[in-house]
Amino acid sequence: MSEFHLTEDQQDCLQELINIAMGQASDQLARYLDSFVYLKVPSIESVDAKELMRTLSEQKNAIAVVSQGFFGHEGIRGEALLVYQEGDSDRIADLLGYEPDDLSKDEQVIDISSILTTTFLNVFAQQIDNQMSYNAPKLLPNVKDNLFEHLQQMPFTWDIALKVNINYQVTDYSFNCNMILLIPEVAITNIKHVLNRILAEF
Amino acid sequence: MSPAVLICDDSNMARKQVLRSLPDEWKGSVQTASNGEDALKILRDNSINVLFLDLTMPGIDGIGVLQGIQTLKLDCSVFVISADIQPEMQNKVKELGAKEFIRKPVQQDILLTHLQQHGLL
Repeated sequence: MSEFHLTEDQQDCLQELINIAMGQASDQLARYLDSFVYLKVPSIESVDAKELMRTLSEQKNAIAVVSQGFFGHEGIRGEALLVYQEGDSDRIADLLGYEPDDLSKDEQVIDISSILTTTFLNVFAQQIDNQMSYNAPKLLPNVKDNLFEHLQQMPFTWDIALKVNINYQVTDYSFNCNMILLIPEVAITNIKHVLNRILAEF
Repeated sequence: MSPAVLICDDSNMARKQVLRSLPDEWKGSVQTASNGEDALKILRDNSINVLFLDLTMPGIDGIGVLQGIQTLKLDCSVFVISADIQPEMQNKVKELGAKEFIRKPVQQDILLTHLQQHGLL
C-alpha cells in the first residue's frame, strides 16, 4: 500500500482533480438521462489487488461490472471498472423507460458506464496535461466466476487500485456506482509527480 | 477600499486557486472556511462583502450556505465556484441569490471579468 501513500497535500490535490472530473461526468449523465444528478463528495482510497479481488468475488448480491481500458502518455494507463449493485442496472433501464429486454438493458449499462468513464478520465487527463485513448467497454457477465480471470488478463501488472466511490443519485431514482481505477505502479508514480508539479505552483 | 472577502471550499488547493486569482490589493483582507458551518459563522460575525463559495462539501453544503445568507438577510455578493456544472444547478444558485456561477477550475481572467461586471473592481 505504501506505493500509493499520498501526503495530505497530494490527497487534497487529487481529490480536487477528481471532484472536477466527477462534476463534468455527472453533467454528461444528467444530459443523457435528461435529469438532474445530486453530487456528493466522492471518497478515494487505495486498495491492494488481492483485497479488491476478494471483496468483489465475495459479494453476495449479483453485481454488474463494466470494464474499459485507458491509455495516456508518460506511462499513465489502466483499467476502469464500474461496479453496480444488484438492481441498479434495472433502475437505469427504468429511468430510460426501457422495456424489460435483456439485450437493450445491457447495452444501456455499457453506454452509461462509458459516458461516465470517458468523461471522467478525459477531464482528469486534461488537468494533468495528458490525453486518453480507450478500448471498447465490456460488460462482464457472471462476474463472480469471471472477474478473477478478467483481472488476470490485464495487459499490465498492477498491485494497487485507486478506488473512487461515487454516488450518483438521479432525482427520484438512485443508483450507486463505484468507479475503480486499476493502475500499474508506473502510473501511480507518474500521478504523484504531476500532483507535486501542481502543488509546486502554489 | 478593498472588500472583506471569504473563500469557502473544503479543498485547500481550491481555496488557494481562488486566492491566487484575486486582485493583489484584495489579498490582505481574505478569510477562509473549509466547510459551510464555519462559513456561516464567519458571515454572521463579520461583515463580509464578497463570498466565493463551493457547492459540494460535506455537512452544510453551498446550497445550505446560500439559504443561510437569505435567512440571515446578509448583504454579501456571492460567487459560486463549483465543479457541479449542471445547468439546473447554475439556475438554482442564481435563484438563491448568487451573482454568478463560475466553473472549476477557476480561471483568473474569468473571475476578474465577473467582479468587474458586478461593479466590484
